[in-house]
Amino acid sequence: MATFLYLIRRVLQAVVVILIVTVAIFCLLHALPGGPARGILGPQATAQQIAEFNREQSLDKPLPVQYFVYLRTLLHGDLGTSYTLNESVAQLIGQRLPKTLVLTVLSALVGLVLAVPLGMWQAVRRNKPVDYAVTTLSFVAYSTPVYFLGLILVLVFNHILPWFPAQAPQGDSLGQVFADPAGLVLPVAAGAASVVAVFSRYMRAATLENLSEDYVRTARAGGSRQGAILRRHVFRNSLTPVVAMLGYYVPVLFGGALVIEQLFNYPGMGLLFWSAAQSSDYPVLLGCVLVISIATVVGTLIADVVQRIVDPRVKAGEV
Amino acid sequence: MSPARTTLVAGAVVTAGALLLAGCSGTGGTSSASPDSINYALPANFTPNWILPIGTAAHLNTNNSSISDSLWERLVAYDGSTGKVAWNKKASIATAADFASDGKSVKITLGDRTWSDGKPITSRDVEFWFNLIKANKEEWAGYNPGKAPDNWTSLKTVDDRHFTITFDKAYNSQWMLANELVDIHPLPQHAWDRTSATAAVSDADRTAAGAKQVWTYLNNAAKNISGYAKDSLWKTISGPYSVKSFSTSGKVVLAANTKYDGGEKPGIATVNLLPFTTADAEKNALRSGSVDYGYIEATDLDQKDRFTAQGYTVKPWSGWAITYMPYNFNNPSMGAVFKQLYARQAVQKSIDQDTLAKVIFNGTAVPGYGPIPQGQSSDFLSPTQKNNPYPFSTSAAKALLTSHGWTEQGGVMVCTGPGTGSEQCGAGVAKGTKFQMQVLSQSGSTVTDNMMSAIQSSLEKTGIKFTIKTAPVNSVLSQTPQCTAGQSICSWQLSFFGTAGSWYFPAFPTGDSLFQTKGGSNFGNYSNPDVDKLITASTTSTSAQAVQDYSAAVAKDLPVIWLPEPDYQISVVKDGLGGFAQDSLANFHPAQWKWTGQ
Repeated sequence: MATFLYLIRRVLQAVVVILIVTVAIFCLLHALPGGPARGILGPQATAQQIAEFNREQSLDKPLPVQYFVYLRTLLHGDLGTSYTLNESVAQLIGQRLPKTLVLTVLSALVGLVLAVPLGMWQAVRRNKPVDYAVTTLSFVAYSTPVYFLGLILVLVFNHILPWFPAQAPQGDSLGQVFADPAGLVLPVAAGAASVVAVFSRYMRAATLENLSEDYVRTARAGGSRQGAILRRHVFRNSLTPVVAMLGYYVPVLFGGALVIEQLFNYPGMGLLFWSAAQSSDYPVLLGCVLVISIATVVGTLIADVVQRIVDPRVKAGEV
Repeated sequence: MSPARTTLVAGAVVTAGALLLAGCSGTGGTSSASPDSINYALPANFTPNWILPIGTAAHLNTNNSSISDSLWERLVAYDGSTGKVAWNKKASIATAADFASDGKSVKITLGDRTWSDGKPITSRDVEFWFNLIKANKEEWAGYNPGKAPDNWTSLKTVDDRHFTITFDKAYNSQWMLANELVDIHPLPQHAWDRTSATAAVSDADRTAAGAKQVWTYLNNAAKNISGYAKDSLWKTISGPYSVKSFSTSGKVVLAANTKYDGGEKPGIATVNLLPFTTADAEKNALRSGSVDYGYIEATDLDQKDRFTAQGYTVKPWSGWAITYMPYNFNNPSMGAVFKQLYARQAVQKSIDQDTLAKVIFNGTAVPGYGPIPQGQSSDFLSPTQKNNPYPFSTSAAKALLTSHGWTEQGGVMVCTGPGTGSEQCGAGVAKGTKFQMQVLSQSGSTVTDNMMSAIQSSLEKTGIKFTIKTAPVNSVLSQTPQCTAGQSICSWQLSFFGTAGSWYFPAFPTGDSLFQTKGGSNFGNYSNPDVDKLITASTTSTSAQAVQDYSAAVAKDLPVIWLPEPDYQISVVKDGLGGFAQDSLANFHPAQWKWTGQ
């Protein structure tokens, strides 16, 4: 019951947060000077065409009216129509979001699968040369901009060693995307690098902390082997901070996708957002921000819930 | 190694191995390089999203038009495919346009052509287009008040293959053909003249209300991109290609129209138009050989040999365009200075276009000194413009300012002699005014950034302070509109949106939108009654001299800062692909492409 009430409270908070985000973004977008019409219609558009565009898009109405029109259509499940792409925003996001999710989820999964054992391995070898070496590599990977890393990957694994394509899969459907796994290697590797760097650090720190706990000493005193202790006790307890951080990492993954999609010619939602920002395509920008806000809020919510399940102390209010 | 370690390390190794196995299936770079298909790279960050040859300005950009022209041929097609911008009769439905001796009407003869469903293309199909545009002109991308269709008073059908359009007054026939009649697309009336998908085909277009309904129906149907390849509406075509597939993410596949009976027979059966997120992504695809006709940026020209070694030819594609920086003559602080011709001359003389074209643009731009494109030879160009009335000289520029009441103080010219005398600063320029101006320039291009820095440096030598602010091109256009001095949006002083050329002309390069008083794209509110008269004369006079007079007057009056005109694109074309010249009107024509063997 307590978990259920907790969930209800968090969902209500999330709705308020998302509403505030839409107001903030709406106001910021409309504060930009000039409006989108001239930019979208181009230098050759006439004054009549600009006026017609503003009338069609309700941009000639006062800002609060525009916002409530937007909110009303939003409540009907309509995110509006893109000024530039000639499609409904919901359709555009529906087409692009799964592709971005493939990229971000694969990057996160690959990153975590590597980071978790790597972090534990480093903790076991604390302050040994391999620990220093991996730590150094982690810092390098973390501080390298995704764009630069992507270029290096293309240069090495496409231009010098022609092993993988420089383009991500070009199909529209997920089936077509997965039909070209070779195309996913470099973009996923670029996305996973920072996940490995960040989460291996968290895992290393958490493992070290747990290794010094009384229950580990007790287990050792009881004759348990190091491997068994790591597998049965330390692993689960060390995952707690990793799970918590994963939820907060959602916007970072979307941000990374924006760059990776550009570099690897992969038209997902990150690129949609970037193009919309360039062309002042308000409905698309608002739609993307809404989706990213929801993803972030849901991500943190899931992280909190999972943390309550993984770590009973959270439920009990001890931490 | 302990079991725990083994487990941990194995996890990592298995993951990496799985990735490698999944990926190691080749680079996937598949150039078509076959006589049956071609891979053409669309401009970076462009997604085709419209095929209907009528629509709003937001839809009809040049690349969408190139696709729709491949499906529905124009009545009169102008292009630069022969190396010179001219009427390409092979790609046109009309075979002749006979103007009346008084210049007030034209009689058009249609070719003996059929739609892909076997029905003949007739005058009724032109009338259908005419009725739709007349009734929906405010929404039509090509509409400019006072121009077509306002200045077309009637369309009278003579018979199935002949009709006459009457104008409100006499016009220059070349201008009328190249800038107005060129917009007409005969449309399949027998298939499209309906008010909804379920309604029967009728003569609905013959009433204004019906024409509005048909327009709405067609435009709504065109919003369903995923229906382009399936919807029977788009199957009745007159052009050399049909849509085989049209992806919402941007990939378009065109297939040769086997029923095509026009003059421009397709040479390649399948045309793949490929979208790219960035120019870098496109360059990577070129390097891997998966693009047959692509492009590189000017800054990549040093890699030309690499592409040549890969079996490509680098071919600059010049545009029928001019590049410039408009002054805001209504700017509250600098408008009065910009209104002084001597001040504009001093600015123009401070810009070394030859060096900019050679060094900054790596030779991929041509200096421009006036309103007529100079990348191609044409009869429109006046000797005055051609010979550069204001050659680069910062000392001459400085002398111009000092002889008009300006004194250099701390490296910046300051007006110390206000007044309207011949040796004073000029009307409205207050004492103490500093000659300092800011440009809002298009971001995202190294070449443009470098050009702005070079201009800043040379203006500084004259004593003009020039600051640079950047924004994406759409923001530049939005933030530098026509305005009056009292408006807050009128704070802009100079605007630059010409990284790929500021203004692409139709075949006949008139300045009615750009430099005529209150012209739709006269962003800086330039106004000169003499120039207005010359512009009007250029569209109505039958003499070619009228355009040259306009060219000379505007080159001398400097309504904008003239800048080098960059190539539209630096194309990289697979060896063996030929049979065409790149169209300086910035359109592509797949039917003209041929694999000629290497």
